[in-house]
Amino acid sequence: MITTVTLNPSIDREYFVDSNQVMKNQYIYTDEDVRVYPGGKGLIAAINLKNLGYTDVQNIGFVGGKQGLYFEKMVQNLDLTTNYINTDNEIRNNVKIIGKDPFTYTQYNDYTYSVDDYDVNQLIKRFKRGITSSKLIMIAGSIPEGVDFSIYKKLTNICHEMGKEVYLQASGEALNLALETEPRFVVPYFKHHKTILDKEIKTQSEFIEAGKRLQEHGARNVIIPFHCDRLLFAENGSVYKLTPEDYCIRNWLGASDAYNAGFFDYIERYGCDFLEANRQGAAAALSISESKSVFLESRKEITLNMSRIIIQELEV
Amino acid sequence: MSIVKDYMFRTLNSVSKDDLIEDVIKIMYKTELSVLPVVDPENKLLATIYSNNILKNIIPEQFGFLESHRIFYEINQSVENLAEIKGRKVSEYMSKNTDFVHEDDDMNKIADIMLHNKESLLFVVNEAGFLRGYISRADLLHYLLDQAKEL
Repeated sequence: MITTVTLNPSIDREYFVDSNQVMKNQYIYTDEDVRVYPGGKGLIAAINLKNLGYTDVQNIGFVGGKQGLYFEKMVQNLDLTTNYINTDNEIRNNVKIIGKDPFTYTQYNDYTYSVDDYDVNQLIKRFKRGITSSKLIMIAGSIPEGVDFSIYKKLTNICHEMGKEVYLQASGEALNLALETEPRFVVPYFKHHKTILDKEIKTQSEFIEAGKRLQEHGARNVIIPFHCDRLLFAENGSVYKLTPEDYCIRNWLGASDAYNAGFFDYIERYGCDFLEANRQGAAAALSISESKSVFLESRKEITLNMSRIIIQELEV
Repeated sequence: MSIVKDYMFRTLNSVSKDDLIEDVIKIMYKTELSVLPVVDPENKLLATIYSNNILKNIIPEQFGFLESHRIFYEINQSVENLAEIKGRKVSEYMSKNTDFVHEDDDMNKIADIMLHNKESLLFVVNEAGFLRGYISRADLLHYLLDQAKEL
């Protein structure tokens, strides 16, 4: 069974309007102009892996209130296995308003969801028995209010005690603390923090320095997004730059989740070849960024892009 | 042939035999379920725990047949009984005689099992006995409706 963890999932609501204007009432009458779907980093990767042909894929995390039951139903309709702790507080909703002409994209991110200690303890118990059939666990995304920043450290420790490896995509203090447990793969992200290990980074050399510092703090392999490229820091100290060739971006949404799924799929099928797993992850991300879709549809689209991913070792 | 996997609810929502009755009640309330699977530390299905079983242990036997002036007394008694057992373990109240089905079982088999016992839902396991979810009477009716459309 493949396991992904999403502690702060959301119901994502997209509304398409002709022209988005402030202080104006808009009326939407067609189904196509409203999209509601379950969101959250680990979850989207799980959906992608399901689409790649894995029959047993579970998503572990919190969902809240009556809207949480609705969220779970949406996930069930995608044939994923849910392993959720139901909390009293309602799950969060992200609202996206997309203007068609001129094209505009306005997003309201809801970070009001909170979870109490009782539910965190329930999650830890459920997590321990939920991962017994998995080898590599993907833990990704933000954490809700009320959950201590040490949660990813705790979950990674549990994985290691049970002989499992961890693929961690996190940011800020939750990432910093989890590094002590030496996770196998670490992917920092910058949605909320423009820093890695509390230091701001802008240039390629600063990104490289940050990757090395992540390794010094415990990460065994590091993957850092650098504009449309990735900087790869292998366990043996080598540093690589991964670049897609001749690409035309149409869509950012879902690319990093497709990367995670492509990477994961490679490891599941062929074992740990860090560079080749990244090549497949990047090919998966490329297929999403050049399409209108948020989700991968099949492995075929990834295979077609494999030769367009260039990996070069850097002299550092 | 349709199999259970096509219609089941894939959830690992569960309790362990060391969880408390209070935990069970909270989960039942939040997930709107009146029965939960009890699993071992590896998620293998061991037993089930029913809300009815908990109720039977807290409500006095003669409840419902009393004169009205006695009802408040009996309700208070039930609350007191629950306060006493809420800290007890699931293992004391779980039911080990649990019917379960496999995720690759034929849906026609489910119809047979459900018609011949009182279970409103059956828990689903994989070949190794690991919990995979449940299938309810509503799922069975959904399957039968699909069959009816093909007539």
